[in-house]
Amino acid sequence: MRESRLKLTAGFTTLLIISVMFIVPFVWLLRSSVMDLSQIFIMPPQWIPKPFHFENFKEAMTVVPFGAFFKNTLIIVAGVLIGTVVSSTIAAFGFSRIKWKGRDMVFAILMSAMMLPGAVTLIPSFLGWKELGFYDTFYPLILPSYFGGGMFNIFLLRQFYMSIPQDFDEAAVVDGATYFQIYWRILLPLSRSAVIVVALFTFLGSWNDFMGPLIYLKSDSRFTLALGLQMFQGSYNAQWDLLMAASTAVVLPCVLVFLVGQRFFLEGITLTGLKG
Amino acid sequence: MIMNRWKYTSAFMVTVLSAVLVMSGCTKSDSSNNSSSSDNTSTSTNNAGTDTKSGEKITLKLTGWGAPAEVAAYKSAIANFEQDHPNVKVEFQSISSGDYDTKLTTMVAGNDEPDVAMMESATIAFPLAEEGKFLNLQDFLASDQQITLDSIVPNITYSQAPGNIIGIGPGPETFGLFYNEDVFKDAGIEPPPSDISKAWTWDQFVDVAKQLTLDNKGRNATDPNFDPKNIKQFGINLPTWWGQYSNFIYSNGGDFLSADGKTFALNQPAAVEVIQKLADLINVYHVAPSPLQSKNIPGTNVALQTKKVAMAIDGQWATSSLAESKVHFNVGVLPVMKEPVTTVVAGMFSIFKSTKHPQEAWELLKALLDPEASLDMLTNGTWMPAPKDWYTDSEKLAKWTKDLPARPSGYQGAVIDMLLNHSHATPTAYVKNFNKIMDIVNPALDKVWLGKQSAQEALDSIAAKAQQQVQGRRDVE
Amino acid sequence: MEMTAKDVQPAGTRARNKFSKREKKALFYGLLFTAPAIIGFIIFTLGPMIASLYLSLTDYNVFKDTTHFIGLDNYTKLFSGEDDLFYKSLGTTFYFVILRVPAVIIISFFLAILLNMNLKGRSLFRTIIYLPSIVPAVASSMIWLWLMNPDLGLLNTVLEWLHLPTSSWLFGEGSVIPSVVLTTLWGIGGTVIIFLAGLSGVPKSYYEAIDVDGGGWYSKLRHITIPMLTPTIFFNTIMTIIGSFQVFSEAYILTQGGPNNKSLFFVFYLWRTAFRDTEMGYASALAWVLFVIIMIFTVLIFKTSKSWVHYEGER
Repeated sequence: MRESRLKLTAGFTTLLIISVMFIVPFVWLLRSSVMDLSQIFIMPPQWIPKPFHFENFKEAMTVVPFGAFFKNTLIIVAGVLIGTVVSSTIAAFGFSRIKWKGRDMVFAILMSAMMLPGAVTLIPSFLGWKELGFYDTFYPLILPSYFGGGMFNIFLLRQFYMSIPQDFDEAAVVDGATYFQIYWRILLPLSRSAVIVVALFTFLGSWNDFMGPLIYLKSDSRFTLALGLQMFQGSYNAQWDLLMAASTAVVLPCVLVFLVGQRFFLEGITLTGLKG
Repeated sequence: MIMNRWKYTSAFMVTVLSAVLVMSGCTKSDSSNNSSSSDNTSTSTNNAGTDTKSGEKITLKLTGWGAPAEVAAYKSAIANFEQDHPNVKVEFQSISSGDYDTKLTTMVAGNDEPDVAMMESATIAFPLAEEGKFLNLQDFLASDQQITLDSIVPNITYSQAPGNIIGIGPGPETFGLFYNEDVFKDAGIEPPPSDISKAWTWDQFVDVAKQLTLDNKGRNATDPNFDPKNIKQFGINLPTWWGQYSNFIYSNGGDFLSADGKTFALNQPAAVEVIQKLADLINVYHVAPSPLQSKNIPGTNVALQTKKVAMAIDGQWATSSLAESKVHFNVGVLPVMKEPVTTVVAGMFSIFKSTKHPQEAWELLKALLDPEASLDMLTNGTWMPAPKDWYTDSEKLAKWTKDLPARPSGYQGAVIDMLLNHSHATPTAYVKNFNKIMDIVNPALDKVWLGKQSAQEALDSIAAKAQQQVQGRRDVE
Repeated sequence: MEMTAKDVQPAGTRARNKFSKREKKALFYGLLFTAPAIIGFIIFTLGPMIASLYLSLTDYNVFKDTTHFIGLDNYTKLFSGEDDLFYKSLGTTFYFVILRVPAVIIISFFLAILLNMNLKGRSLFRTIIYLPSIVPAVASSMIWLWLMNPDLGLLNTVLEWLHLPTSSWLFGEGSVIPSVVLTTLWGIGGTVIIFLAGLSGVPKSYYEAIDVDGGGWYSKLRHITIPMLTPTIFFNTIMTIIGSFQVFSEAYILTQGGPNNKSLFFVFYLWRTAFRDTEMGYASALAWVLFVIIMIFTVLIFKTSKSWVHYEGER
């Protein structure tokens, strides 16, 4: 894309200013994680801790069994990630690339799942899972992702699928392709950006999910990192220094995943090449 | 090119999938371990009702919240308990304080409540008690050898109705006037007394607060040229939480409800006068910063440390963060309106009626009250002990107050003597339907703090609505 | 070719005829592909939804042993004005939605366009914009309370330094909702990312065509970017509306509904009723009222979408 120098400079400057504002919470978190409790809230703020209290990390990780929680989180996140990506792409295909009677009606009904505040379905859902004997297991956290993977993702992918011209399908149909082949060979590759966005959001959502593990788990041998983060709030005082260190330790993998993940949609898909 | 990228992604997926399979293998072994332990539970429940002989394994479930140091104190109490009761295993579930009620509610809905639970008087403790979910601890206290109502400090038990004790606090918390010693030294002003007989009157207090409120040119609030728009240091941090202003209402002879529990009383002269005087600190004298609601960020320690305020009204627990901040702080008694008073707030431990092992649960509750197990929390300043002799026996007192940064020179007079001689129950302990009443009161008070209405106007305007929510007192028949 | 041509025809035109073989096939495969989602909805969502709908007709309290069916009493109490917090919290929430939705959509749209430019270090910029969405709420809420403290906070300190008027931020009656909106704007990373994914699907050749015609930045935006992104704009608008109506954690963590109930968001009030006051039946009625409101908004936007959302695959 040809863009004038002036425009690039203007864009760069704007982004720089906005980025400074957006990075403040993270920098605040980072520097607080290596600070003494008495330094964290001081005004005017100190941006460079002196001295650095790296032992906060060590202490935070002894207080909360990070290794075990990390493993649990990883199992749940991986399970949810696979389930969501597979089942939401399939469902979105059925809701966008196949025209069937009643499709939009069914889609609208499923959308309603997002509209009822979770506070009132929490207890019925909990009782249901408990009845099935899945209390204190990972099943209530993982299993639903294999059944559609959430309407947010289906809806998002549907929007992208519907933006892809039908020409590709048509060509494939002429070649005798089945719906499944169209899904696998054409739609999935062409909607790569959206699929990666779904995977990214699912990863982060599951990684940070707090309410699900809180309700469905009870043995601390099964707890997740997000639950562990809440363990620094006291009855009267919070151990902010440790909380910040633990938060940083939990957040850093997410930042890495994002840095890597966003590269996948850096370059747009060259639809033109395929269109021929 | 596209296909290549896609292949990488799917290869990545496969790797993740196999990783999950491996890991789920690990969890399976975990869960089999667990099922054997739950077998233990079910065998022990078969013995329910019968006296548990030693050797029969029992599992007690305990839920609580707390910062890591607090949880460590509970765990050490549990370890002591398990040592004394080798047949009992305690499963402690630590739940974050912000979500404790949500979790406990779902547990109750699923008939999975713990045997012993930490509870908070301002939230779901009384709703549970009113449905008869808790054992009456009075029965245990009456027959216990070690712990009785007289052996613990006043106002740390909670009763659903007279004679029906539903919870005992692991320790009290009182309120005091915390201050930065350096500020007083620099200004050449006598600091707040810690001896209640020498306590400041309200006017004396306001006078000192004025002298310690400085604008950016160094003029204090008594100066005619004082600039209230540019204040560098405030005299006092204003309490707008009921726990804090209740001290002054009680001191002035006021209350949340009338003595018979039938009438809303915050719009009565004794309470109104207090609220107005507190609001005047902000809006008339400009000696206190604007009010913040629930969250006091930054906390008292930072406010005093950075000399943003000279004095702060806060709970005893503040000593912990003040000590950690290495502020030269001390504590005095609160100014007295009419009577010397400190409100006592405390969490509590309760026993669910559904427990299969009430006697063991009671023993566990007692172990949790043992100050020996929580010495770290007592010496760092956060907690105070429950048994009275830890205040009166000089040897025990020394264990948690002597030569500690969290226990400055004023502590004995301003905290310990006040607790033993002048304490008042927290309103959440005896005002029925407290939350619903305060849902109506708090917005009205916000208007007072913000200087939009006088205390009398604001409280009168909601009195009728608040009266509709009045359901009586728990401490009268 | 043939299949698509028929597929594209609106279902209604053929309604009178019996299902053709092709339609049967489409129905079969359509249901097959969506079956997991439909089954999942029925198992995991529909049950609890129906349960809560039923509970909204009762006086259900988790701690009570008995529950009575009370018909529409909960709803009567809501609408009769007996519960003035109902209308108050609804009004607060509407104000929040009206303020937040356009702000989120417009700002994230332009941020995405900036981030899609061929700039140095753009992957770093993208990460930075997304960072606040990753920082855990327990940590970020502390930052906000600290930044927005009227007397001790950084924001007012900076404003004073610049000789600009200060604000009470989260602690003033008039400023609390805009302040909450402001804090949520830091979390727009997700919306920006979705726009970015949408932008990556816009063929560069389209822009080149405008270059050839001598069109500038504005005509590219007007004639290519916006029309091509309508499916994404549509998605983000719907999701932002649904999310804004259900705003909860900001009230829970930052303001507790204050001052003077000015930030008493509907779902916060609902949650308080359900879990602090343990009136689950009444809370369920509250939830269903919000459900209907969100549903109406969503359906309206879906209806209008036919006139402004362009799907390349539907032409």
